Amino acid sequence: MQTTLTPEATSKTRILTNLESIGLSLPVLGCIALLALAPLFIQDEYILRLLVVSLLFGALAIAFDFTGGFINAVNFGYAGFVGLGAYISTLLVTKTGFNPWMGLLAALLVTGLVGFFTGLLTLPLRGIYVSLMSWFVGLTLMALANAMVKLTNGARGLIVPPLYESVSITAHLYIMLAITVALYVIMRLIIRSRVGLAFRAIGQNFDAARASGVNPTRYKLMNFTLSCAVAGMLGAYYGHFVGIITPDLMDTGRTMEVMALAYIGGSGSLLGGVFAAFLFIPLFDSLKKLMEYRLIIYGLSLVAIMIFYPAGLAGLYQYVTEKYKTWKGRIPK
Amino acid sequence: MDLNTLQNLLLTGILRGGLYALMAVGLALVFGVMNICHFAHGEYYVIGAYAAYFAHVTFGLNPIVAIVIAAILSFIAGAVTEKIFFFPLRRFNKGEWIMNAFLLTAGLSVALQNTFKLVWGVRYRGITQYWDATIEIFPGMAIAADRLVALGIAIAAILALWFFLQKTSTGRAIRAVSQDERGAMLVGIKLDRIYTLTFALGSMFAGLGGASLLSLTPAYPYAGVRPLISSWFVVTIVGLGSVSGAIVGGFLVGVFESLSYYFLGQGWQDVASLGMLIVLLLFKPSGLFGTKVKGVLEK
Repeated sequence: MQTTLTPEATSKTRILTNLESIGLSLPVLGCIALLALAPLFIQDEYILRLLVVSLLFGALAIAFDFTGGFINAVNFGYAGFVGLGAYISTLLVTKTGFNPWMGLLAALLVTGLVGFFTGLLTLPLRGIYVSLMSWFVGLTLMALANAMVKLTNGARGLIVPPLYESVSITAHLYIMLAITVALYVIMRLIIRSRVGLAFRAIGQNFDAARASGVNPTRYKLMNFTLSCAVAGMLGAYYGHFVGIITPDLMDTGRTMEVMALAYIGGSGSLLGGVFAAFLFIPLFDSLKKLMEYRLIIYGLSLVAIMIFYPAGLAGLYQYVTEKYKTWKGRIPK
Repeated sequence: MDLNTLQNLLLTGILRGGLYALMAVGLALVFGVMNICHFAHGEYYVIGAYAAYFAHVTFGLNPIVAIVIAAILSFIAGAVTEKIFFFPLRRFNKGEWIMNAFLLTAGLSVALQNTFKLVWGVRYRGITQYWDATIEIFPGMAIAADRLVALGIAIAAILALWFFLQKTSTGRAIRAVSQDERGAMLVGIKLDRIYTLTFALGSMFAGLGGASLLSLTPAYPYAGVRPLISSWFVVTIVGLGSVSGAIVGGFLVGVFESLSYYFLGQGWQDVASLGMLIVLLLFKPSGLFGTKVKGVLEK
C-alpha cells in the first residue's frame, strides 16, 4: 500500500497517524473542527454558552475518569475540589489583585496539594476509603466556605471578575476547547505511557500489579493529585466564566452530575464523558420541563449503567464500529 | 464552663448518639453482610419520617403506631430496593463489586431525593412533638419526652437486633454469610433471601430513626443528608462492617459533635470531625474496632 502513494499523500498519512497516536483520530478531529467552526454559524449566545458549559463538564468528566476509570478510586468529594479551586482563584484575584490566569495556576497548585494530602492518607487503604475520605474532605470544604463568612461571604457567595476585560463568549469557547483538547491529549498520553500501564494494572488487578514490582500507593497518589489539581483549575475557570460562586458549587449533587456523565460515557474511556456531556447538558437545558427530572435521570442512568452496561457510551461506540468493520469486510470488493 | 453545662452537653450528645448508633448499625450490617457501602441510607430515614408524618398527622394515629408503621414501610422499601437493584447487580456484575455497588447506591440516593422532592415538594413536614411532656433528669434540667423515647427506641431496636443475630437461626445465617459467603451457601443458606432480609433490616433501622425523631427534624427531601454523613462518619471511625463498634461509635460521635458544636460553632464542627478522622487514619487505619474479616488495607 505505502509504495503506491505519492510522497504528498505519505506525509499526509504520517501526520494523521501521528495525530492518531496522541488520541486525535479522525472522528475526534472532526468534532473539534465542528466546535471550532461553530461560532461562524451560530450567533445565538445562549447556544454558545451551552457549548462552553458542555465542554467544561466534559473536561471535568475527563479528569474524574482519569482517577475513577483507571486506578479504581472514586473521588467522591470532587465538587469540593472544584469549588476549592474556584474560591482560591477568586479570592486571590479580588483580594490581592492577581491576574486571573495566575489565579487558575494557583488554583491548580493549591487543589493539587490538598488532593495530595487527602491521597497520602487514604490511598494505602482500600478504594472505598478514598471515596469516603475525599467525600468528607469535600463536605468540610463546603462547610468552611459557608462558615468563613468574612472571607467567602458565606452562602451569599462571591462575585468573580471575568478572565480578562471584554472577554466574549466566542473567546470562552476557544479557550475551553483548547483546555479540553490539551487535557485529553495529556491524560491520554499519560495513560498510554509506562506510568499509565501501572495505573491500569493497579485498577484491574491489584495483587498482580504489586507482585510485578509496581508501588501502588506512589502511582495512585500521582494519579489522584493530578486529577484533583485539574479539577481545581477547571473550577477556577468555571468561576471566572459564570461570574458568581457559592458554596453550593461544592455540593455532593455536583459530584454526582460529573460522576454520572463520566460513567454514562464509559468508565476508562476519557472521551466518553465529553460525549455524554454534549448529549445530556443541552438536552436538559433546552427542555425546561426535564430540568426538574434532571437529577432523577442522572441518578437512574447511573444505576442502570452500573447494573446492565458498565461499558457506557464508549462501549456502545466500540461495539458499533466493530460490527461496521465486520459488515464491511463481508462485502466482496 | 461549669458542671451543669458539661452535663447538658453530654446528655445532648448521648441523645444525638442514639440516632447515630441506630443508623450506623444499619450501615455496618449492610456493609458487613453484603459488602455494599450504602450511600442511600439517608433516603430510608426520609421514608421513615414521611411515613410517620402521614400516619400521625394525616391519619391521626397514635405516635407508637405511626412509628411502627414507618418501620414496616421502610423495611418493605428496603426489601423492594434490594430485589429491584441489587439482585440484578449481583447477576450481571463483572467488575469490582464494592465500587459498582457503591456507585449504584449513590445514583439511587440522588434519584430518590429528587423523587421525594417531585412528589411532596420541598415543604417541611414536621410536628412539634409526639408527647406533650418533659422529663426532669437532673434538678433544673428537663428534656422533651420525645427525645428520651427516641433514645429508648434506638436502644431497644439495637438490643432486638443483637438478640436476633445471636439467638435465632436466621440471625445466625446472617452472621454466617458475613463471615464466609461460600461456606454459608454450602451449608444450605439461601443467600438471596439473607441479602434481602439484611438490606430490609438496615433500611428499617434508618426508617426508625427518621420516624422517632420527626419532632426534631421534619420530613423533607434532603432530611437524610445530615444523618447519612454522621452515620458514615461513625462507621468510618470504628471500622467498616463492625456492628458492635458502630453502637459505641454512635454515642462517641454524638458526644464529640455536641462538644465540638458548643466550643467551635456551626461549620467548624465539621472541620473538627475531619481532623479526628485524619488523626485516626494516620494511627489506626482499620478504625477503632476494625475487624480482620473484611480487611481494610489493600491486601
